[in-house]
Amino acid sequence: MSSVAAEAVHEPRSGFRERLDSWTAPSGLFIAAVLVIMALPVTRTIQDPDFWWHLRAGQLIIQHAGLLGNDPFTYTVANHHWTMHEWLNEVLFAVEFAVGGLGLIVLVLCTVTWLGLLAIMQKARLRNPTRGVLGMGMLIAVIAGFPIWGPRVQMITFAFAALTLLLVERHLVKGGKAIWALVPMFLVWSNFHSGFVIGLGFIAIILVAELIGAWLHMPDSAPRERLRPLLLVLIASVAVSMINPNGPTILLYALGTQTSGAQQSLIEEWFSPSFHDWEVLVYGAMLLSMAMLVVFNRHIRARDVALVLVTTALSLQSARHIALFVAASTPVYIDQLALATPRIRAALRRLRRAPATARTRARVQPPLLFRLTACALLMAGLGGVYVAWLVPKMQLQPYSLTYAQEFPVCAAQWLAGAPEPLKIFNQYGEGGYLSYTLSPHGDKVFIFGDAALMGDPLLYSYANVETVTPSWDSIIRASGTDIVLYDIKTPLADVMDHAADWTKVYQDGLSVAFVSTDRLSTLHLPPVPDWAPGSVCAKQAKATPNAGAQNR
Amino acid sequence: MKRPDLLLIAGADQERRATATRFAWIAAAAIVVLVLTVQPFSDANVWWHLALGRLITTSGIPAHEPFSFLPAAHAWVGQQWLYEVTLAGLVGAGGAGLVSLVMGLAAVAAVVLAALAIPRSVRVTGPWLAVSMVITGVVLHSVVGVTSAVISVLGVAVVLFVISRWRDGRTSAVWGLPALFLLWANMDAGFAAGLLILLAAVLLIPGAPSHAGSRRQLALALGISAIAALANPVGPGIYASVLSGVFDPGVAQSLAGFGSPNFHEWWARLFEGEVLLVIVLWTVSGGPDRFSAITGFGLLIATLFAQENLGLFAVFVTPQLAVHGSRAWTLHVAPRLHGPEQAATRHLHPVATGIALLAMTAAMAVALVPRLSASAAATYQASTYPEAPATYAGHNFPGQRLYTIDTWGGYLAYRFPSGRIVFLYDEPAVFGSNALQLYDAIDLLDPNWVHVLTTENIHHAIIPADAREAAALHVLGWTVNCYDPTSRSLVMSSSPGGIAPPGSGLVIPPPGAPDC
Repeated sequence: MSSVAAEAVHEPRSGFRERLDSWTAPSGLFIAAVLVIMALPVTRTIQDPDFWWHLRAGQLIIQHAGLLGNDPFTYTVANHHWTMHEWLNEVLFAVEFAVGGLGLIVLVLCTVTWLGLLAIMQKARLRNPTRGVLGMGMLIAVIAGFPIWGPRVQMITFAFAALTLLLVERHLVKGGKAIWALVPMFLVWSNFHSGFVIGLGFIAIILVAELIGAWLHMPDSAPRERLRPLLLVLIASVAVSMINPNGPTILLYALGTQTSGAQQSLIEEWFSPSFHDWEVLVYGAMLLSMAMLVVFNRHIRARDVALVLVTTALSLQSARHIALFVAASTPVYIDQLALATPRIRAALRRLRRAPATARTRARVQPPLLFRLTACALLMAGLGGVYVAWLVPKMQLQPYSLTYAQEFPVCAAQWLAGAPEPLKIFNQYGEGGYLSYTLSPHGDKVFIFGDAALMGDPLLYSYANVETVTPSWDSIIRASGTDIVLYDIKTPLADVMDHAADWTKVYQDGLSVAFVSTDRLSTLHLPPVPDWAPGSVCAKQAKATPNAGAQNR
Repeated sequence: MKRPDLLLIAGADQERRATATRFAWIAAAAIVVLVLTVQPFSDANVWWHLALGRLITTSGIPAHEPFSFLPAAHAWVGQQWLYEVTLAGLVGAGGAGLVSLVMGLAAVAAVVLAALAIPRSVRVTGPWLAVSMVITGVVLHSVVGVTSAVISVLGVAVVLFVISRWRDGRTSAVWGLPALFLLWANMDAGFAAGLLILLAAVLLIPGAPSHAGSRRQLALALGISAIAALANPVGPGIYASVLSGVFDPGVAQSLAGFGSPNFHEWWARLFEGEVLLVIVLWTVSGGPDRFSAITGFGLLIATLFAQENLGLFAVFVTPQLAVHGSRAWTLHVAPRLHGPEQAATRHLHPVATGIALLAMTAAMAVALVPRLSASAAATYQASTYPEAPATYAGHNFPGQRLYTIDTWGGYLAYRFPSGRIVFLYDEPAVFGSNALQLYDAIDLLDPNWVHVLTTENIHHAIIPADAREAAALHVLGWTVNCYDPTSRSLVMSSSPGGIAPPGSGLVIPPPGAPDC
């Protein structure tokens, strides 16, 4: 029995004072500290290159008072129909940006991510682990998800997925009507992000796993009478998720991403995690230690097995799915830790040759005032740290130095001075920023981060240029490109630097631009600016440490 | 009531039929695995090992890297000399087909030994042995073939087999281990994994109760084996050499085998499936013993860090799949299918079994024999490696330095073993980081790639037609001497001064360029 449950048995509850004692106890302070610490790694600057085109798309949706039928940003696939599966999210971005700038968007998305983590914690609490195990498990999970956290649209799906799993687990354990809250949630989710199919998939997986688990007499199966409402909720959720500008086709949209060979093989965040990368080491450690704990405990629910297997497979396939692994597997991990703890303690006692029944020392609580003061000081300290962490990230503007080191901020400022709109061959991860800054000017990009909209043929064409296959030159020319804007120190930039029929027309600390020599005189490009000393672009030229990342 | 002697005879007959049935299942599975493990020279490293084997046969083990014009940072590690000499001997005796067959048979032997590495007290039925062998064969398919990794796969299987016999109380088996490690350490660096598995056995498996001091015997055999491994050209430095190969980050970056698995590829999905299957079977069948759990998870971690360890993991879990699969079936599935009373063990009909095995053998022969022919090997070689371009360069640019991609460097070393005209091949531990940086500068088109070409005096290249180097060299004004449509590769040379560089586009096949 866990210590929390034990306390509940031995000590009669006395309302507010009891809770106060509980939360000012060391374990309560630990959980409170964990709640604040969890917010630190999920609070970051905008690093997702797709953020910028989402923001611009939201502004355009509001401007046109409707979804955009076609892609307005590229000169390559402008005739492709655009399935705007994230339209509601994009509109919210635009509204938040208008109200509070980038800072408000950062704050909202980081809060949403934190709420997702809170939902995971609540789900884990349903199985009554000790607070120590709960806090440790959550800290490990938050660090495991480190490569993925940050203000990005996928965090909406992460939070909704965690909430779905919480509501389903609560229903299977306690019953009640709260499970029906999933239906309106899916109505909203399906308009936010196509990842809602993951939530539907989770429910279906749990249902099937529970049926198989009951057949195999696996432990702690849910009562069968609770599966029927879950099935009904699933059916209703599928139905309401079709209430969407894209209609029922939205259900199949996400599968297209999962089955696209080009997206899976060319886009970095779809790659498998490399365990030589320190950022995924904790994820690997969590995965392996969970496998060890399951083998050690030999006690696991059928639905837990299914969720862990599915999210493990997804996260090994693509690092971006580590967030789903954290959402679905963390409560299982904490449960397994809790199951193993008594056996580990007993083993340690045996090693120390301590008696099996340890002496229980009466715990002497410090005075309440002392505990409250300690609690207040701790929370104030942690809160101060968090605010000091958050505020600089909220203060950044789209043209700040931080972003100028990641995105072609200075090159965009230069190109904005061109008298005529340009067709820009760009780096995949920079199409979003260029679309955000230059589409009002009429400029078009070769490619940006909506890979499904771009389509596999364009992705492969882009890859041929990026990797400088023999057809690179003909692909650029055949597409009608006016100017090539690319990161310095990349193979393409280094080859173009030696090509006699391409002329370098611009370079800063991040980007370099080339124009076909025979078109140089007709483009009327603006002169290369002489950045004022102390300006962002002057600093960027000095500060950019390592340009040349590809497919970010 | 039957007479006791009749009962004994019936029991012996039952035992004989059970053994025959197990044998039939194992033989059938081995045939399937052989079809999977006999492969052509798909591992590009085989070529420089082969070239080295020939060199050792005539001149002894070289002290320095013998093929490249780059200065190697470290002295040559001749640790694999026995593998290389054996490879050269087999190719000399029977061509590429014989090597493919021998290595395929070695892999099958590993799978069979691993499946039999089960303590006798654990009764595993033939079907489960066969299933575990086939699963292992399918997983191994991507890592075996003509490669020294097969030696380590076989070595680990032998170690597991010896450990299982030792657990049964047959402690004399352990005295074969020093000889095994003596050979193994001269063929592949994976012998270190074998030593670690033995160490785990010494520390984690209780000695056979009937043989006092058996754990001490195993520990002694381990110690002698570790010393026997020192009897190789590297001497005591062999362990430092293995460690530097494992922990050198430069190696991990430059060799795919030292990277994490890419789970978009089917073989990695098979590996993942096998891992999940083992964990599920362990969980539902009472759990593994300490040795199996710790060693299994250790090998899993090793494989997640370096995919080349996949073969060791696959072989290690073969007996786990058989034992725990059989146990899980008996505990959870069979009672639901057959009711509480177990179905009697079924034995195969001897004649039908013999006919089935003969048919499988015939089918295997039909599948394998064409693959082992000299013409099949020649066709594979001509389409996978730049055979014709190498011949062209040998005739037209004798003794001149050649650039090629690292995976083809070994083939060029095989084609041009003298004269030091090869740039680099997949032996980063010898070449060192400076040579690797020079290679990367051209291969990744770093800003100084043209400078490297100039300073290293490289004027000719043999490269795949779709390689970035082809497009880049074309931009520099290099011309295409010839194009090989079979391997889709080019021979390119720098143009003499004074000729204007062409437009940036390179057309494949290059118009006007002759076939190599």
